[in-house]
Order: sequence, then C-alpha cells, then structure tokens
Amino acid sequence: MKKSNIVLYGIAIVLTLIFLLPVLYIIGSSFKPMNELFSAAPTFFPRKFTFDNYVKAIERGNFLIYIFNSFIVAITSTIIAVLINTMSGYALAKFRFKGDTIIVIIILSTIMLPLEVIMVPIFSVLRAFGLYDTLWALIVPAAATPTGIFLMRQYLMTIPDEIIQSARIDGASEWRIFISIIIPNAKPAIATLAIFSFMWRWNDYIWPLIAISSPNKYTMQLAIANFTGEFGADYSSILAMSAISMIPMLIVFIIFQKQFVQGTASSGMKG
Amino acid sequence: MEKQSYKSYKFRQKSVPYLFLAPNLIIFATFIIFPAFMGIYYSFTDMTLFTFGAPNIIGFENYRNLFQDEDFLAAFKNIILLVVATVPIIFTTSLLIALLLVQPIKGKNFWRAMFYWPVMISPIVVGIIWQWILAGNFGLFNTTLRNLGLAPIETLINPRFAWWSVVFAKTWSRAGYFMIIFMAALLSIPTSLYEAAKVDGANRFQRFWNITYPSLKPARLMVFILLTMEIFKIYPLVVTLTGGGPFEATEFTVQYIYETAFQSYQIGYSSAMSVIMLLFVTVFTGLNFFLQKGGSDS
Repeated sequence: MKKSNIVLYGIAIVLTLIFLLPVLYIIGSSFKPMNELFSAAPTFFPRKFTFDNYVKAIERGNFLIYIFNSFIVAITSTIIAVLINTMSGYALAKFRFKGDTIIVIIILSTIMLPLEVIMVPIFSVLRAFGLYDTLWALIVPAAATPTGIFLMRQYLMTIPDEIIQSARIDGASEWRIFISIIIPNAKPAIATLAIFSFMWRWNDYIWPLIAISSPNKYTMQLAIANFTGEFGADYSSILAMSAISMIPMLIVFIIFQKQFVQGTASSGMKG
Repeated sequence: MEKQSYKSYKFRQKSVPYLFLAPNLIIFATFIIFPAFMGIYYSFTDMTLFTFGAPNIIGFENYRNLFQDEDFLAAFKNIILLVVATVPIIFTTSLLIALLLVQPIKGKNFWRAMFYWPVMISPIVVGIIWQWILAGNFGLFNTTLRNLGLAPIETLINPRFAWWSVVFAKTWSRAGYFMIIFMAALLSIPTSLYEAAKVDGANRFQRFWNITYPSLKPARLMVFILLTMEIFKIYPLVVTLTGGGPFEATEFTVQYIYETAFQSYQIGYSSAMSVIMLLFVTVFTGLNFFLQKGGSDS
C-alpha cells in the first residue's frame, strides 16, 4: 500500500472512532448497574450487564407513554407532511397561475423565520386555537415545511406533462390525477421526505417545549430534557431513555442511508 | 360524472393549484407568518403572560431597555462569538472530511455512514452524551486523563471549557451533514479540469486552490448560510449539555428569550429580543449572500 493511502485510512479510522465511541459509551452505560454508573473509575463497557435502568425508567416515569407519544407525533405528522407538501410541490411544478411567484416568495420567507424566534406568538396562537397542550400542536403546524415543498417540486418537474394531459383528456379529475399518477411517480422523493420528516419530528424539542405542559403528553426529547434539569437528576433513567431514543433513528438510518445522503446533498434538507 | 358547463370546468382548472397549495399556505399563514407579525406587535407593548385583552402600547421602550439589559447583551455577545467560532470550525471540518472521502479509498459508503450518523441523533441526546462523558471528576474524560497519567481538569464547571464543549459537541453532531453537501459538490467537478491541471504541472495545493475551491462556490454559500442560521438558534443542545451555565457562560439568545417569556412572563420584552435577533440573522445572512454573489463568478 502506498504511504499516502495508509495516512488516508488512518485518518478515516480515527474519525470513525471519534464519531462512534461516544455513542457506544452511552449505550453501554445504559446497561451498567448503579454502582458502576457512579464509580470513581468508570470502565468503557459495563462489567456487569443489567436492564435495571430500563426497568426503572418504565416503572418510575411514564417512559412508555413518552415513546408512544413520540411515535404518534412522528408518524402522523409525516403522513400529513407527505400529503400536503406533495400537493404543494405538484401545484408549483405543473401549474402556471396568477401569484405563483408571490407564493414561492412567501414559502421561501418562512425559511428565514425560525421557530425559535417566534416561540412566544406561536404559543399565543396555539392557545387561541385550543391546540395548546395537545399532540395536534406537534403534528399539524410542523407538517408544512418549505424544504419539503421544494424537494417535491424539483422532483415532480421531471414527470412528463404528457402523462397528466392524457389523463385529463380521459376525463380524470385533478384529484384523481394527483392520487393515481403523481403520487406513484413521486415515490423516491416521497421516501426521502418521509424519512426526513420522521427524523425531524422524532428529534424535535422546540415544538414540544412551546406546546406541551402535561407530563403525560411529553415526547421523549422533552422528557429527557426536563428530567436532566431536575434537581438530583436520575441519570440511570436518562441514559436508558437516550439510548432508546437513538434506536429508531439508527434503524431508519441503516435502511434508508441512500435517501438521507441524497436528500442532504440535493437540497440541504432542513426542518 | 355530472355534466358541467365549460365555464365551471375552467374555474375548476384555475382553482386547482390554489386548492393544492391551500393546506400548506394555511399552516404557514397561521403558525409562521401571522405569529411573526404578532411578535412585532407584542414587541411594542407591555404584554405579560397574564395580560388578558389588549396590552398597552409603549412604543420603543422595550427596545430601549434591551440595550441597557446586561444579561441580554451578554447573551447576544455570546451568540455572536459562538457563530464566529463555530461556523468556520464546522465549515472546515466538514470540507476536510468531504475531501478525504472523495479520495480513492475503499469502503466509501461505510466511512460516509460512520461520519454522517451523529446527524441522526437529537441535539438533546447529543447534549446528554457529551455531558455524561465530560462532566465531573470521574467522568470518562477525566478518567482517561488520569489513566494517561495526567491531572484531571475542571470541565463543565469551568466557563471556558463549557463554552468550547458546546462548540465541540455541535461540530461533532453536524459535521457529517455538511460533509454530504460538500461531497456532492466535489463529485460534480469535472475530472477533466484536474487532468488538464496535472498536465500543466499544478501541484495538489494549486489544484485545490485554483479548481476545487472556486468550483465549490455555490456549496460554500449554501453551507455558510445554513450553518449561520443554525448556530444562531442554538438551544436544545445547550439545555442538556450545560443548561446555560456555569454562570451563564453558555447562555445564548434563544435560551434568554425563552426564559424571559416563559419564566419571567415578559412577553412584550422577549418579543423585542426576537425582533432584534431576527433582524440580525437576516442582515447577517443576507449580507453574506450578496457579498459572495457579488464576488467574481466561477
């Protein structure tokens, strides 16, 4: 092997360790018994392997409820996101209409208005609509994403107009065309959008922070954050919850790596 | 299908795109654009979380107070410093990793997956991971130091260390994301350019500086803008990593805005902070956009 190659692989291995070891350490720690967690000489891997932390997290906290809430929010919001962002992408890709430029500008401007900056008025709006402290507040508003629209628009522009035209001549309604022609043809882009949307909602902290107050409606992220802030935080449960919160994303990532990479590369997908 | 007049068919055709756009636009209008205007209105009032009915309009008083509020100014200075430090670090790290991965090296997909995967972890959990490793005298970090025969150091209770650990954790969790954007851009540079340069006898560094770097212009601009906006709104990572401490050393604007609104209940005042921050982010990214766009085109 050439000398420069050895250097390349050497750097790649070191980087891999930097990116991987911290995660392994947390997952390993979540299986450590209490005395090892707070030992004065912690080991990298648990010496004694135990599920105690998980059992405790389930018994003490509403651990299962948080997982359930997170799943409900992520899945429902993703379904809505796919539907409405594909609809918008289709309108922008295949129709010419009055005000289309203005609409594009409006959509773009929402990118420049980060949620973090308008937390307070959003809180008022949620209260006014009776959405405050409901999971709907985490599902519906977050489903509309400018990046989702542009991703779909870009992809749908590649669908030939002739297919749509001939369906119109055959007398298919616009909705029918959308459902039976556009959606099946947009599958790769829909997969990308769905995966990103799931990740955004699963990992989201700001929306739950603004919108949720009852502990039985916490998502995992909100629960982890709030438990850390508590006096005398119970680290055994927090580690177990953190490990669990990473697992669905790890699985999704292993299966859909290609979509993540393509989605990031093409539009800098940003929730 | 029922019979329809030509006119109503035409109307249907015309209304179709608006109907398809409606759900998104309604959500944007209700949950982003309307709140943004409301925020501007609040910022001119004395509204608190317990104000029912219309609050008093107090003009620019909130803004005047802001510039005398040492805590706000500290948080604001802190976020500017963080942006100035973190943006170039993540930018360079992700570009270097991308350059590494476009070299002829085996197992590209494996390495790419390894470097990308922290992107999937929520900022809350990233904070937990590094807190658990760094914190305390007996965390993994200090234990490792001790095993290496070094003295343990103050970690997250030291303001400076805590501040840099925010920079580090952010870089760790986001470098893989921007790496992908750079990789896509690097792979789209025609190899013929490099071959021609080689024929002309350009060395590795010259090839990077004269071909790679200029060709990356659109990607660089995009990464720079995305990154700047992202760092400006940093908050969840800090919640679990440092909680904003020690001594507010890692308290940044979003946290201060949040606490002013939801812990001190000063809605009007915190809205003024939001407006200032928004102006700042817009000017900052916009300025950069025009400066870079206006430069020599490649």
